[in-house]
Amino acid sequence: MRFRRWLVLVLRVGLAAVFLYAAWTKLRQSWLLFAMAIDAYGLLPQWAVITLARALPWLELALGILLLTGLWLRQTAIAASALLALFFAVMLKSYARGLQIDCACFGLGEAISWKTLVRDGVLVLSSIALAALAFRRAPYSAKPT
Amino acid sequence: MLVRRPATASRYNREMSRLALLLCCTLAAGAVQNSTSKSATAEIVKSIGVFTAPITIEVFSDFQCPSCKLLYERTLRPLTDDYVAKGRVYLIHRDFPLPQHEHAREAACYACAAGRIGKYETACDVLFRQQEHWAADGKVADTVCAALSPSEAKQVRALAKDPQIAASVDHDIQLGTAAGVQKTPTMVITYKEQRYPVVGAVNYDLLRRFLDQLLSK
Repeated sequence: MRFRRWLVLVLRVGLAAVFLYAAWTKLRQSWLLFAMAIDAYGLLPQWAVITLARALPWLELALGILLLTGLWLRQTAIAASALLALFFAVMLKSYARGLQIDCACFGLGEAISWKTLVRDGVLVLSSIALAALAFRRAPYSAKPT
Repeated sequence: MLVRRPATASRYNREMSRLALLLCCTLAAGAVQNSTSKSATAEIVKSIGVFTAPITIEVFSDFQCPSCKLLYERTLRPLTDDYVAKGRVYLIHRDFPLPQHEHAREAACYACAAGRIGKYETACDVLFRQQEHWAADGKVADTVCAALSPSEAKQVRALAKDPQIAASVDHDIQLGTAAGVQKTPTMVITYKEQRYPVVGAVNYDLLRRFLDQLLSK
């Protein structure tokens, strides 16, 4: 039981750090740079690219804060898993298509490769594990005992 | 005379020292000027616009890469008209042939050779336009030379084998590697010493908005 609580804490704080860092790298620069990176995936019309480029960093920031505080952990873990799984699917599709584009996961200058896919895959699994652990017991308290 | 001889010798030595110093300075200045003009020549053939433009964009691309073709046709052409021609952007082309593209390096050498005779844009244009053909049959030289006059074609064929051209391509690859370029096309936008790497065939409208944002700062 204690191990599980510590595992939840580690996953929660680890994922919070990832989301907060991802949000910071995007918010510290012009949103248009992120928009260009999203556009390079060639999946969305321009209005959607612009909306996503403006909204996604704030969503990542919110998820990071919620994970860090442990508030609404079940809902937050599900939202984080869904978002990370979506990123993973899009990156996998682009990699399979042979697109030579930027991952845009943590700012600019990192191309999609098998390394970025492995990293994102680990994050998806961690997030799913966190959601599963959050649902296996009574609503989770942020503080480990 | 015996008294004056040392003075004459001393004056002679001083004069010779001055002459030697002058010679050294002249040789050093010549060497610096030579190296500067060489690098400037290498830069000029592959760049468009005014060197003093507020924004510099270095485009690392591979003639055999389909995304580079898209970037060239859909983004760089309007960029040249709207920003480069108006002195707001200085555009530098850097060759970054990827190892998996069999004919990319040869294409880069031919484009640089054409650049030596002031026909870089012509070579770029034909190489991207005919990309599917020469990438399949490997007829890079014929593709470039078909867009030139017979005398120019002869010059370009000879220049493409010049080791300095290969060295210029290698120099661009080194610059790209140092800048962290992993894929093509990659644009490195520099404004007020701040560098922004942008990967892929970016949408011109978004790029235009970003450049306007930089210029309004």
